[in-house]
Amino acid sequence: MGEFRDRWTAVGLEHQVEPGSSNPAIVDGHPLAIWRGENGQPNIWHDRCPHRGMRLSFGFVRGDTLRCIYHGWGYESGGQCVSIPAHPELTPPKTICAKVYPATTRYGILWTNLADEPSSPLPDLGPEEGWHPLRSLYVNCPAETTADRLRGADCGVPDAKAGNGGDGIATIETGSGLTLLIAIQAVGADKAGLHVVARGEDARASGQRLELARKMQRLRCALEAQ
Amino acid sequence: MAIKLHDYGLSGSCYKVRLLLDFLELDYEVEKIDFYPGRQHKSLDFLEINPLGQIPVLDDDGTRLRDAQAILCHIANKYDASGRWLPHDPARFGQVMMWLMFAGGELMAASAARLHDVMGYRLDIEAARRNAHAAFRILDDHLTEREIEGGQWIVGEEPTVADIACFPYTALAGDGGIGHEDYPALRNWMRAFRRLPRFQPMSGIAEFT
Repeated sequence: MGEFRDRWTAVGLEHQVEPGSSNPAIVDGHPLAIWRGENGQPNIWHDRCPHRGMRLSFGFVRGDTLRCIYHGWGYESGGQCVSIPAHPELTPPKTICAKVYPATTRYGILWTNLADEPSSPLPDLGPEEGWHPLRSLYVNCPAETTADRLRGADCGVPDAKAGNGGDGIATIETGSGLTLLIAIQAVGADKAGLHVVARGEDARASGQRLELARKMQRLRCALEAQ
Repeated sequence: MAIKLHDYGLSGSCYKVRLLLDFLELDYEVEKIDFYPGRQHKSLDFLEINPLGQIPVLDDDGTRLRDAQAILCHIANKYDASGRWLPHDPARFGQVMMWLMFAGGELMAASAARLHDVMGYRLDIEAARRNAHAAFRILDDHLTEREIEGGQWIVGEEPTVADIACFPYTALAGDGGIGHEDYPALRNWMRAFRRLPRFQPMSGIAEFT
């Protein structure tokens, strides 16, 4: 198909995708189901049951399989259908398989790549350790515009300096030695997701993270007002 | 005298009342109102019961109440000896009231979108969806902050009538063409709500599995 660029895109914060849950997300207009089995492994799939096209993000997780809410067909991590409740004796054919995308975590952020043959490297901002999750939030503004506007936007943090961390990544350095990593998710023509994590002493305590999360709401207002 | 609920199965507002009655394990009688397509809530007979022509209405031992939020407060105040569902302490009471008003106010845009899509109501659907998204954003921001603080519910460490009042039209948003993609904290809160003991599903809201 070659419909999507070979690039890693953030789709959420790892800690907000609970084990045993299935969640919806949209990347470049393409609907995704993000689900996590009880073994903790995250899965990112096309949000479509191969049986009748029902959204798998409406589904429910049993053990380490995702079940479609419509007829209960069960799928294991690789996408393969392993159970059809209406035909309990049947071993589902190998051809019944959900469309699976890569799912990986770095800096507390969940990333995927929708390209047919992904080969680009994951965004690299140094060591994995030391990042604290702040929050995900969505802004009514296209992803490219959001990246541009972030440079001048008022986030209410003193001495904030915006930088570019690569494709779809913005950073904000503050006067107090705090680094915010903002991974931008292109949702659609008029919407972008911001998945924000922070590194530094000032992001350790929950009270400090709460304060920073509120600043991100302010930032969202500033981005939408421009 | 028994509690009687003037009820419609597909109404999110009636569902709020049923949720609390079930959480408290109270027996009640149901008077079914044919809201759609019968429009029985606008009939002359029903307007004698509620001149606003809205459901739910609760009859409880000579007290007749309209407005889901008012009914929730009445039931909690009268029947919940633990005080858990309607806390009276100054730290929580005002906040619970604030979110009850939000549930009956801003959040009803999600109900409007659903009335349009499911029951053919004529209204500005784009405005309804936009306003519903604005309300969900407010609630998701709040629940995100609660998550960071280590909390799971809208107010305090336990579910309250504020959670009950905000739950139905949030969970039913898809019926009005409004997705939950942008609201991770809201999704986790809904999942926690559905896991509560004695939680009852309704059409469009599955039992937690």
